[in-house]
Parts: sequence; structure tokens; C-alpha cells
Amino acid sequence: MSPLHNLPEETLILLLKKKNQQAFSYLYDNYSEALYGVVCRIVASSEHAEEVIQDVFVKIWKHVDLFDAEKGRLYTWMISIARNTALDYRKSKAVLNEQKNQPLSNIVNSKEEQDQTQIEQSAKADFIGFRNILDKLKPEWRILIEMAYYEGYTQQEIAEQLDVPLGTVKTRTRAAFLQLQQLLKEYR
Amino acid sequence: MDIKAYISSGIIESYVLGLASEEEVSILNCIRKNNVEVEQAIAEAEKALEELADIQAMAMPVSLKEDIWNKLNAENLVAFGDPSEGKETESSTLDHNIERNSGEEPEEVIVPRKSYNWAIAASVLLVLSVGANVLLYQQNNETKDKLTKTSSSFDQQQASLATLQDKWRLVQNPAIKTIPLKGVENKPDLHALLFWDQLSKAVYLNLEQMPVAPKGKQYQLWAMVDGKPVNAGVFPLDAKADGTSKMLDIPKAQAFAITLEDEGGKDVPTLSELCVMGGI
Repeated sequence: MSPLHNLPEETLILLLKKKNQQAFSYLYDNYSEALYGVVCRIVASSEHAEEVIQDVFVKIWKHVDLFDAEKGRLYTWMISIARNTALDYRKSKAVLNEQKNQPLSNIVNSKEEQDQTQIEQSAKADFIGFRNILDKLKPEWRILIEMAYYEGYTQQEIAEQLDVPLGTVKTRTRAAFLQLQQLLKEYR
Repeated sequence: MDIKAYISSGIIESYVLGLASEEEVSILNCIRKNNVEVEQAIAEAEKALEELADIQAMAMPVSLKEDIWNKLNAENLVAFGDPSEGKETESSTLDHNIERNSGEEPEEVIVPRKSYNWAIAASVLLVLSVGANVLLYQQNNETKDKLTKTSSSFDQQQASLATLQDKWRLVQNPAIKTIPLKGVENKPDLHALLFWDQLSKAVYLNLEQMPVAPKGKQYQLWAMVDGKPVNAGVFPLDAKADGTSKMLDIPKAQAFAITLEDEGGKDVPTLSELCVMGGI
């Protein structure tokens, strides 16, 4: 389950730029499960997640030359590709479900949306194997991470939905991160 | 900037969650280059998301690995052939060439001519590149000159602005008494302004219209206290001609006067060198 990451990142970058099967194999064997975990939490259905993860790999493969080591680590970069691809997918699906551009508030109440939510929830059940360290976060902090990270809400939207000031959303997000870092430390 | 407050505002978390605005990101990128604390906080937050991904990793259907590899191949995103294979082809061609060349008469040699073409192409490129470099170098120098000129004229303007601001502050201050010092009989064109703070007793002098003191000489200010001249300091030689200088504090006076004295000033004024004076 747990990825190995046993090559230093610089070596992996060089390897990836060769674009050969050995590079692919290493990338896949070490990172696919972690990236898949991110994708699954966002698209929440295994069938779609499989489609998305393929795109993710194609993107990483295609754009590795654009990766800038000064702006962060390769793994971080790959995670953000996985997350963005999955969020885009989720959005495009939401657009399909959205009947003729109804405002968001209507959709929440629409029958179709309820059905969709049910489907997603039962799909989520596919992934009960999730080890969810996030559950250990304070609930009002956890929801911020989930909305922002896995559901792609902006902080402004979160502030409106939860009816708290934007500044509070930001400082609570930070608090959530600090607790998460602590939990991860204990986990190690 | 208060870095602690910046970090605790939650901006770094917004950034790693991909929620920061473009403007926020460009500010952050600028700060992280110059601040280890911020750089480290970013790295830690990113690391947390990496570890979270590790913990939440999920098993994938086995067939996907092959599917994705096929997809990459189908989209022509894969380097051709195995590197070891490539080497083999290369060396076998080489062998072949050697065999051929070991024949009685070497046939027409293609390789040198090819490299000759390359040499021409390379020279042309080199000439172009040198030309472009010279051009760019000249442009760069011109830009540098312009920049130097602009910044020096900017400095001058800044300095004169500062001078005016100093004076303005004095004039604005209600505790300041402004005393004009007028040229004496034989020097009617001379003029200076004295600012006297009635609270702190500080004295400021501005040589509005006075020639630069000749070499070895220096203007000296005197306060007339109960009919006796009291030294109020020499006007600094390094002060700017239009600048205002702080002189010695004078608690009480009925008049002020300036004489031109030898550098460093005197204990008693040389009355023949009296330039300007003014009463309270």
C-alpha cells in the first residue's frame, strides 16, 4: 500500500525525462496508489476515478518538462495535477447534471441532484478501505479541508456556506493544518 | 513586514490548497525567496499533504498499469526503443562501416562532407549569435546609462523635496517664530531666515540668499542677548546651500545676526564682517 519513493526526486525527474518504460514503471509503482487515493476522494466513484487517474498519468508524463523544482517538490506537483484533474472532472460532471444552467441553490434541492448524491454516497462506500486520518481532526476544522481540498470550493464560498467570516476560514484552515501535521507526526 | 503575522494569517495554507489568488501567489513567491521561515512553512504544509496522500493511498486495478502505458504509446509520448537496443544498432552500423572501409579502396567518404556542411551551418549560426550578442550588449549598456541618469535625477529631486519638506515643517509648527535677517547697509541683497522654536528654544537657520562662504571662511550666527553677542553656532560647511541647519539652542535673545568669520568661528563677532541681522 504505502509507496516507496526510494529514489531521490532529482533522480526521478531525470528518469522521467527519458520517457521510457523503466521511468513509467517506477513512477507507477511508487506513486499511482497515492495519486489514486487523492482522485478517489474527489470523484468518489471507482469507475470515474479509473478514467481520471489515466488522464493524470498522461498529464504528468507530458508536462514533466514544465516542472519547476524551485517552486516545490515533484510529489507535491504530481498531487496537485491529480487533484486538479479530478476537480475539473467533478465540475464538468456537475455541469452535465445541471439542467440548463440552473442557479446552484436550485440544484441543491432538485431531485436529480439528490439522486446523484445518493449515487455518490453509495459509490463512496466502495472506498470504505480509506484510512481516514482526517476524521481525527476537530469537525469544524475537518470540513474546511474537505471542502477546500476535495470539493474545490474557494474560501469565499466556504465562508458563505458556513456563514463565518473569510478571515476565520483562513485562520481555521491554518489551525486544521497544524493539527493535521501533529497527527501525521504521531502516525509516523 | 511582520513575518509571524503573515504566516499566521493562513496564506500559506491557502496557497498549498491552491486557493490563493494570483496576486497573493506572486507576493508569496517573492517573500519565500528572501525568507527562510516562509519557505520552510510552505515546505512543511506541502509535506503534510504528501504524507496525507501516502496514508490515504488506494490499491488500483492491476490492469490499469498496462492500460496507461498503452495510452502513452498510442499518444506517441514514449521515447523510441530501448536505450540498449539503440546502442546495438549503432555499433553494428559502425562495424559494417569498418568492414567496408577495410576493403581495397575506401569508397567515397560521406561522413566528412556531412560534417563539413555542419561546420558551415555552425559558423553561420556562430556569426549570427555573435552579432546578436553585440547588439544586445549595446542595448543593455544604453539601458543602463538611461537608468543611471534617471535614478540620479530622481535622487536630486528627492533631495530638494526633502529640503522643502523640512522647511515646510518648520513653517507649519505654531511654536516656531520665523525671523527674517536682512542685509546690512553695504550688503542690501543678502537675506536669511531664522526659525526659532519658542518651546524647545532650538534655532534653525536657512541661508536663503547668501553667497557660498569663501574658502577658509564660515558664516557664524550670533544672538544678541541684553546687548551682548552670544555665539549661536557656525553654519556647517557641508550643509547644502538651500538646506536648513540646526544651530545652538538660544533661550533668550532680542536680535540675531550673521558674520563671516574664519573657519571654525570666533568667540566675539568681527563687526566689520556683519552680513545680515534682524530683531525679534
